Amino acid sequence: MSHAVEIHDLHYRAGKSFEIRELALNVPTGSMYGFLGPNGAGKTTTIRLMLGLLRPRSGRIVVLEGEIPREAPRVLARTGYVPEQPHLYPSLTVAEALRFHAAFYRTWDWKWAEELVGAFHLDRAAVLGRLSKGEMGKLEMLLALAQRPELLVLDEPTDGLDPVVRRDVLTALLEYVSQQNATVFISSHLVHELERICDWVGVMDRGRVVVELPMHSFKNGIKRLRIANAPTLAGDTPFVVLAREQTDGGAETWVVRGWQAPMHQYFEGVGASLRDVVDLDLEEGFVELLRTFREPTR
Amino acid sequence: MTVDPLFEQIDPRSPTPLYAQIAARIRVAVAAAELRPGDALPSVRQLAARLRVNPATVVQAYRDLETEGFVEMRQGAGTFVRDVQSDKRASERARQAIALVRRMVAEASRLGLSTNEIVAAVAKELEMRVA
Repeated sequence: MSHAVEIHDLHYRAGKSFEIRELALNVPTGSMYGFLGPNGAGKTTTIRLMLGLLRPRSGRIVVLEGEIPREAPRVLARTGYVPEQPHLYPSLTVAEALRFHAAFYRTWDWKWAEELVGAFHLDRAAVLGRLSKGEMGKLEMLLALAQRPELLVLDEPTDGLDPVVRRDVLTALLEYVSQQNATVFISSHLVHELERICDWVGVMDRGRVVVELPMHSFKNGIKRLRIANAPTLAGDTPFVVLAREQTDGGAETWVVRGWQAPMHQYFEGVGASLRDVVDLDLEEGFVELLRTFREPTR
Repeated sequence: MTVDPLFEQIDPRSPTPLYAQIAARIRVAVAAAELRPGDALPSVRQLAARLRVNPATVVQAYRDLETEGFVEMRQGAGTFVRDVQSDKRASERARQAIALVRRMVAEASRLGLSTNEIVAAVAKELEMRVA
């Protein structure tokens, strides 16, 4: 499998409190990769390192087969980036911002840019400083898409936008992906949105990537189990126990990773009985995963 | 063809992968003759945009349906419903009925309902529908 983004053993430090350690990340070419993590986990820093906007202490970053930062200009010409904070001159009009941006990209598609201006109901003569948050979000996405990139790096592109604007922006993104086999790397707190569109998930916490999996493996492997007569010591389990809690009546609830149906035999072997297997959605799985990553139970 | 009612039950939070949910909805529609032989399915682009899912998800659903013989993907023209034998339609309907009952039974056992209680409730509900 080829990768649009590969990061190996990356170290970065800003100030005394924040540090990225041994970071590894692999984004398969053509995937839609959802990048999750709590505030302050280092998602935006990772994105900025990935694009050569920050210099790491050590490690290796390869984007679209180019070494970062050495080959950053060549790589960035083929990468669309929507930053967390708008980075456009507030005194430009929409039309001027389009012309300014188009000048940097050989692959810029004027026809589609114009179509998107219409679809997004943007006023060409409007000054950027006066645009609403929603209009700004749409303009940022438009600029990234109309350059027809091979890789789109979206840092919370729809967070804080209203549902109508979010839908417009997502529709344009999906339209692009169905025309062209682009890779999309998208960081967001809107977990349910990522659950719909992403086929890979990476979870970051405290400067490290905690897990990186295809979406279906992530979702299918994490379960909540209800167990009667649970053993005091779990011993050798065929799955990873993320958390266990006493519930009323001596029963226990376990959250496990790497679950497969035949594993119910484990419980019979230790004299316990498995009462129920409950599916978790992406958000619950994400919360449980972080909770245990932060306080290991065993 | 009416697409929206066909896909309104897609649930991204379910552990059943989205492609499997989409394929299942189309299989049901074919089995119930809501979709007729020769009917065109929405294009990958249209359906991905409408459901707000990854286009690759729709492609995978259509491929699975093609492998199973429910649809035919014609290069450049789109995806069309095939003429499915009536016994295959019947077995698909039976399969769906079993899946439905399994989900119900699983939920019922979670709630601690007995077999008699479930059977009585189903019989009563169906009686009311018929009447």
